Amino acid sequence: MMGDKLLFENVSKVYGEGDNKVIALDDICLNVRAGEFVAIVGPSGSGKSTFLSIAGALLSPSKGRLLLNGEDITTLSPKELTRVRLEKIGFVFQSSNLVPYLSVRDQLLLLSELIGKRDKTTVKKADELLSQLGLGHRAGHLPEALSGGERQRVAIARSLMNDPEIILADEPTASLDSKRGRDVVEMLAHEVKSRNKAAIMVTHDERMLDLCDRVVNITDGKVFG
Amino acid sequence: MMFLAIRELKHSKLRYLLIGLIMVLVALLVFIISGLANGLSSDNASSIQNMKADYFVMEHDSKNKLNRSIISMEKLDEIRAISDVKAAEGLGQMMITLNKIGSSEKTDVTIFATDASGILAPKVIEGKSYDNKKQGEVIADRSLKEVGYKLGDSLKDDLSGKVFTIVGFTEKQSYSHTPAVYMNVKGWQEINPGLKNQGKDSISTIAVQMDSKSEENVRESLPEGVTLISKEESLQSIPGFKEEQGTLTMMIAFLFVIAAFVLAVFFYVITLQKTNQFGVLKALGANTGYLAKSIVGQVMLLAVTCIAISVALTYGVTLIMPEGMPFELSADLVIKYSVLLLAVSVLGSLLSLYRVAKIDAIEAIGRVS
Ligand SMILES: Nc1ncnc2c1ncn2[C@@H]1O[C@H](COP(=O)(O)OP(=O)(O)OP(=O)(O)O)[C@@H](O)[C@H]1O
Ligand SMILES: [Mg+2]
Repeated sequence: MMGDKLLFENVSKVYGEGDNKVIALDDICLNVRAGEFVAIVGPSGSGKSTFLSIAGALLSPSKGRLLLNGEDITTLSPKELTRVRLEKIGFVFQSSNLVPYLSVRDQLLLLSELIGKRDKTTVKKADELLSQLGLGHRAGHLPEALSGGERQRVAIARSLMNDPEIILADEPTASLDSKRGRDVVEMLAHEVKSRNKAAIMVTHDERMLDLCDRVVNITDGKVFG
Repeated sequence: MMFLAIRELKHSKLRYLLIGLIMVLVALLVFIISGLANGLSSDNASSIQNMKADYFVMEHDSKNKLNRSIISMEKLDEIRAISDVKAAEGLGQMMITLNKIGSSEKTDVTIFATDASGILAPKVIEGKSYDNKKQGEVIADRSLKEVGYKLGDSLKDDLSGKVFTIVGFTEKQSYSHTPAVYMNVKGWQEINPGLKNQGKDSISTIAVQMDSKSEENVRESLPEGVTLISKEESLQSIPGFKEEQGTLTMMIAFLFVIAAFVLAVFFYVITLQKTNQFGVLKALGANTGYLAKSIVGQVMLLAVTCIAISVALTYGVTLIMPEGMPFELSADLVIKYSVLLLAVSVLGSLLSLYRVAKIDAIEAIGRVS
């Protein structure tokens, strides 16, 4: 189907061997379409991080296929996967994980630098993104000077910098109070809609779920929803 | 490639300033000690180093020591007759103490005796050369002038009672840390106690100009009772030369090892501290190559800056060094050691590169930090 940004086809992940075998994901089928914001919830140890790692091309599945924008990425080499992450996937991590010595603008430009085209246009693009996310006046600041909410907004701006197909967020509100957390998720939802991207967010926070289009429940490595 | 490197250097100034300071000091020490080693080596052996000879023919039982070797002058013609020998000249050598006439001053010198018009005759920078026939004329190294000797001064050898007059000065001629004094062979034969009873026409050694390729051929054509040694071997047998140079060379080698270790540990610890950060960068799409270049770039930038500073400091230090300090540092040597220090620094960062290569991007997901 054309609108499918990310498609899990019978994906399983097994850690360890023999007696130590852990089935973290069990025959998962799931698709996320353009403009769709999906929340992943589930108890601890249910396989959420494993799911996100596979979706983010950080981990390869034991079985099954993963299609990103129609392209099977399970057959790619580690080097090609790094390129896929850089060009097609935007990450927002749990505690923003900004580089401590880079200014807010440079956090975004780093992505252009890595992709190999850092120039005037990318500087302009970074500044535009920052002002759209209400961070225009913070462009020259270091992460240490920002509040937790601002840092997560920078992380969202960073995830959008290389125009990815899909954005993956790993408990983006975990280090924020509920008001700021909600602001951040609202912003993420808004960007996903207005740019017609796809997004998956792992969260523990039930109060954010009304902002998502769909809630997927993972329990013992199986998907419900 | 330097995007991360430069921004981090700017951000963590103090940290990199401190390691830079250590680098500057280590490099400074390398340059100063090698300058000293070089200076001492000339002070010890410039006579031999500057001599226009490639090999020396020594008496068989002399253990390569010039003062123990005695060769009959007849052998000189036999050596000259060997086909691969381009030129050869006799050289007499001994170490004595000379008294300045009209004062109580005594000076230890090394006497060299050779044909005033031969290939070993030193360059005269003041006055004239000695006469091959006339007795009692000498030319002395400039360092004697610096301690107050003048042209026309007379010097007496107490043992033989002979008196010599300085007719000229030469330069860069010293042996075993004493100034060299050149005279004709006859004069040397008269004052050398070792020759008294032999009454023969002798010299200490025969200096030979020849290709190192023909060493084997020449060795086989040598007359009875003599051996051939290279200039390098002859330097090694100067009293104290080997020990002095060995100690200094070892110090320099250790400094290189220290530089490598200090940098290796410093960058390794910093890399360990940044493990999470590198994990995140890899998750975002940075490949190991990019991160490695960034670290090597940082090390090179730091090393080049520090080496440049210490080269400048080294030349500053030479300006305030006391006169007569044996210190010689050629541009060649500075470049050689700078490149070596840079190489050692990069070598020190390899441990960090290994560490970075092992960091897995997946650590960025599902981790509370
Ligand atoms: N590297 C690994 N080796 C072996 N087992 C693992 C590994 N990573 C995860 N697991 C196991 O796989 C299962 C799913 O783990 P996962 O981290 O995906 O859970 P999660 O839903 O993210 O949990 P939490 O909410 O606590 O973060 C768990 O039983 C876990 O113990
Ligand atoms: Mg998890």
